[in-house]
Amino acid sequence: MHRTLIPSIAAACFVAGCGASYPVPTQQLADTESAERSAAELGAANEPKAQLHLQLAQEQLTQAKVAIAGGDNGRASVLLTRARSDAELAIALTRAGTAKAAAQAAIDQANAQKATNSKQGGQ
Amino acid sequence: MGTIRNTSFVLAFAGIAGCAATMPPADLVSARASYGRASHGAAASMDPGALHSAAESLQGAEKSFSDDGDTQGTRDLAYVADRRAQTAEASGEALQAAQQQGQTLAAMHQAETDQANASAARLGQANMQIAQQGQAMQSQGQQLDAERDRRQDAEKRAAQAAADLAAFASVKQDPVRGMVITLSGGVLFASNKSDLLPGAQVKLDEVADALTKNDTVSKVVVEGHTDSQGGPAYNLELSQRRAETVRAYLISRGIASDRVTAVGYGVTRPIADNASAEGRANNRRVEIVVQPTPSP
Repeated sequence: MHRTLIPSIAAACFVAGCGASYPVPTQQLADTESAERSAAELGAANEPKAQLHLQLAQEQLTQAKVAIAGGDNGRASVLLTRARSDAELAIALTRAGTAKAAAQAAIDQANAQKATNSKQGGQ
Repeated sequence: MGTIRNTSFVLAFAGIAGCAATMPPADLVSARASYGRASHGAAASMDPGALHSAAESLQGAEKSFSDDGDTQGTRDLAYVADRRAQTAEASGEALQAAQQQGQTLAAMHQAETDQANASAARLGQANMQIAQQGQAMQSQGQQLDAERDRRQDAEKRAAQAAADLAAFASVKQDPVRGMVITLSGGVLFASNKSDLLPGAQVKLDEVADALTKNDTVSKVVVEGHTDSQGGPAYNLELSQRRAETVRAYLISRGIASDRVTAVGYGVTRPIADNASAEGRANNRRVEIVVQPTPSP
């Protein structure tokens, strides 16, 4: 999936530069919207590190739709690629935040267990 | 997986960019830094696929910069490469955190298991102690039962001894002195003599049998008594000799010597009136006192 990035942007740049027609990136739009929804559903808006990238993804997605509406499909494709990379980064950061919090909670729980056991052992 | 190769690749492109004397765009600089962090972080071992994808993205951005310089296309590629590198870094950290959580939970589970095993061991130890105490109490109960049986047996034997002796002697239970067996002096000794009459030995044999058969621990005191005829000193000495004679005879019949003592009281402890012949006959006597056994 990611391997399509370079040809996609290169092609979009080429097409945009030559002014040739570029097909409407329908699938790319669907994939990007899906990634943005996943990020939002995972709670990226509540994860400080992910919040910015979710916002960037949403803004670039909106810009891509405007570009499509204006017939600038090449620029829209580039914006969708950027938006998707932000959405996927937001997902990764949200998951990392959740996983780190869970790991810390487990450590706290283990420490509490040790304290309880040592108290019981001392009685 | 290709971290070293990719890092070399980044450095190579950085060198090219330097030779071209063109300043790289900020997104490319950021992408290089992000990839550097990701390749030295958890992603290298936890999510090499994501890191490889980031390397490919950075490679594309570097090539674009090398070929075309700081163009919008280069900046777009660098922008995406930067996100890919950060995504790989975050993904590696997420997987590492999940791994740590799993290890922590496993350690907790192990600690709980150890705790439970220790509790079970303590419980088992306590149960064993309870069982041992139960056995000890049972054993103590058996000992008490045996002691009670022995006591009852001793009481039976004592009663039997008293019954045996009652056939030829006066047997009384004195609360202070113990069992008092009174043998008439006329039965045991001739007048003014301290040698046993032949018939007396038969009586004393039965006393000795009773004392050895039914009771082997009680102390025995042989007391000699006389009537008031004759001098007190003489009577005292006679009563002492008679008591000694009876003691010696009892010892010869198997009673342990350390159990038996002899004492003469002479005329000092009459039990009847010395004015009559019958009273004097009663006063001439030997009393064998079986002292009560002290409680253990």
